[in-house]
Amino acid sequence: MASPTNEVITVSVPPETGYVHVLRAVTASVAARLPIPFDGIEDLRLAVDEACAWLLARGPSASAMTLRLRPLDDRLEAEVSIDVSDGPWPPPDMEQSLPWRILSALVDTLSVNTDGGGPSIRVTKRTLEPSRAT
Amino acid sequence: MSSVERPIGSTDREVETELFRRLPDDAEAREQLVRMFLPLAEYLARRFDRRGEPLEDLVQVASVGLLNAIDRFEVERDVQFSTYAAVTIIGELKRHFRDKGWAIRVPRRLQEVGLRVNAVLPELSQELGRSPTVEEIAARCEASPEEILDAMEAVQAYSTTSLDSPVGEEGAAPIDVLGGDDPSLEILEGWASVAPAVKDLPERERRVLYLRFFRGLTQSEIAKEVGVSQMHVSRILSQTLSFLRGAVLEEGDPLRETEPHGADLDGT
Repeated sequence: MASPTNEVITVSVPPETGYVHVLRAVTASVAARLPIPFDGIEDLRLAVDEACAWLLARGPSASAMTLRLRPLDDRLEAEVSIDVSDGPWPPPDMEQSLPWRILSALVDTLSVNTDGGGPSIRVTKRTLEPSRAT
Repeated sequence: MSSVERPIGSTDREVETELFRRLPDDAEAREQLVRMFLPLAEYLARRFDRRGEPLEDLVQVASVGLLNAIDRFEVERDVQFSTYAAVTIIGELKRHFRDKGWAIRVPRRLQEVGLRVNAVLPELSQELGRSPTVEEIAARCEASPEEILDAMEAVQAYSTTSLDSPVGEEGAAPIDVLGGDDPSLEILEGWASVAPAVKDLPERERRVLYLRFFRGLTQSEIAKEVGVSQMHVSRILSQTLSFLRGAVLEEGDPLRETEPHGADLDGT
């Protein structure tokens, strides 16, 4: 049992504040399929909000914002990215910044990357117990 | 007449400050402030246009927001009036839509589920000794997990559009930064340099932030401590964070983060 599923859920939206709620809703919906408690789901929604707002502020000329969700054995991984950054990423003094402080309090792990070319923020939230592989 | 004469080289900010100093007794000064900022109210009202409300009504609502902002603004605070006014006016506009919109746009079934979730959350948390999963909530509410999620989203969507409470409407007095032994003042020290707007938060909002981000309490623990429902805590947190974000970004564009979300108001 408990072998990680290989499911990946990917959603891309225009990089606009008005679409953030779509990503938030998808995150909650996927999280609810795992044994993640209500508190944790609420934290994830806030984290997706915060991550999107942060990226949108850093990349006004981006043309897409993408959410990638990976339900893993014992956690849910959520990564938000945009395709273009209009400044350095990660930003200078990142760990002092408000988004960083907020995000690190909401999730179990937090990292910023530039894997796919554009800036991304990856967070994970643990499940109550290893989820049943389906 | 006795309008303020602008000394050569003085800035709008100085004129503005001078006018505020003459309040609340000087009706003329108030009048002049209204004239100065009416375009802002009209501009914001237009941004809420195309929602099936006559524009004049929206301008009316926005003007009420402007008057409230003028009456409540404190010159001593280190906030630009235009920022403060924009937040207050948007709050007024959103409240206008919320008051008219919530009952109609959120299906009755979801409202009921939302209320039941509110009631069931503390029970279940108590029984389980932890926050329940959506499945557990659904079972107790005799609803499907999808309905629980829809209700959560509806409560959020409806509420993220209302910025009014974090900026001190509804009688929640903005805090006196210097006074008291309130432990949540710690969050001011910790966050003030990166989020100056923290000091404009009413006490309850600041306390919720403090409990979540400095003490690391979960939303259900905060709900118990503050004496409101967990859904309410969730709403306070998301509103307050977006308020802080808006204020953080405002140097670039004060309206960026307070842009109305059409889909939210329309109930998607």
